[in-house]
Amino acid sequence: MSGGGEKGTGTTKTPADFLKSIRGRPVVVKLNSGVDYRGILACLDGYMNIAMEQTEEYVNGQLKNKYGDAFIRGNNVLYISTTRRNLADGA
Amino acid sequence: MLFFSYFKELVGREVTVELKNDLAIRGTLHSVDQYLNIKLENTRVVDQEKYPHMLSVRNCFIRGSVVRYVQLPPEGVDVELLHDATRREARGG
Amino acid sequence: MASEEESAVKEPLDLIRLSLDERIYVKLRSDRELRGKLHAYDQHLNMILGDVEEVVTSIEIDDETYEEIVRTTKRNVPFLFVRGDGVILVSPPLRTA
Repeated sequence: MSGGGEKGTGTTKTPADFLKSIRGRPVVVKLNSGVDYRGILACLDGYMNIAMEQTEEYVNGQLKNKYGDAFIRGNNVLYISTTRRNLADGA
Repeated sequence: MLFFSYFKELVGREVTVELKNDLAIRGTLHSVDQYLNIKLENTRVVDQEKYPHMLSVRNCFIRGSVVRYVQLPPEGVDVELLHDATRREARGG
Repeated sequence: MASEEESAVKEPLDLIRLSLDERIYVKLRSDRELRGKLHAYDQHLNMILGDVEEVVTSIEIDDETYEEIVRTTKRNVPFLFVRGDGVILVSPPLRTA
């Protein structure tokens, strides 16, 4: 913890550190297909396989599906980005 | 290793292999290797109307990576055995 | 709770492990979806599913109006081996706690 971090993410030095630091946080995961998944990142592994909770699937910006838990196979992942939680979801 | 072992036990049974290009081939499983490459004998293409050029193909080697599905014979599926093998595999990493 | 260790989700594949012998939803490449009971899987997400329903979604263009027509084709298969490289997403049944 060397301070200067942005919005509670903490200062991260490497991509791997970033991935470690975002567990439990709301994220958006974009796949190569362009589909977005928004939810809470439960955990991830070295292949970028991802487990998410309260997952919402967006195709062309439209909500298409909801999953309680979701496993995403890492090879499909384009990026993982942290988000602020939707206002509607509250705490 | 789980599925390699499983398919080895399935040798001699009739299966339908569905490829990523939508071709479906039914035949007797002759052999399988660690990449899940598959050799089928006495083959016939499920939709012969659509793939007439496959009519004379009697056996074939299928590269594992082009497989989408394999339809399995119910007699060739021991659910309890699969559960045990899967748990063992999961523990092993 | 003796199974505290067993039921914890520490890595993504644990989500799949906990779904063994449960009905799961699988989203595959080329607009395919499966629902079936998970009987076996490995680290590549190769799977054997039982009592499977496959839904294939295709979009056709109407010859005259050029409207997009979404068509879904369903079929049932008793037992299916699914090669892992086509898997995009797996969703277990809703778990309580």
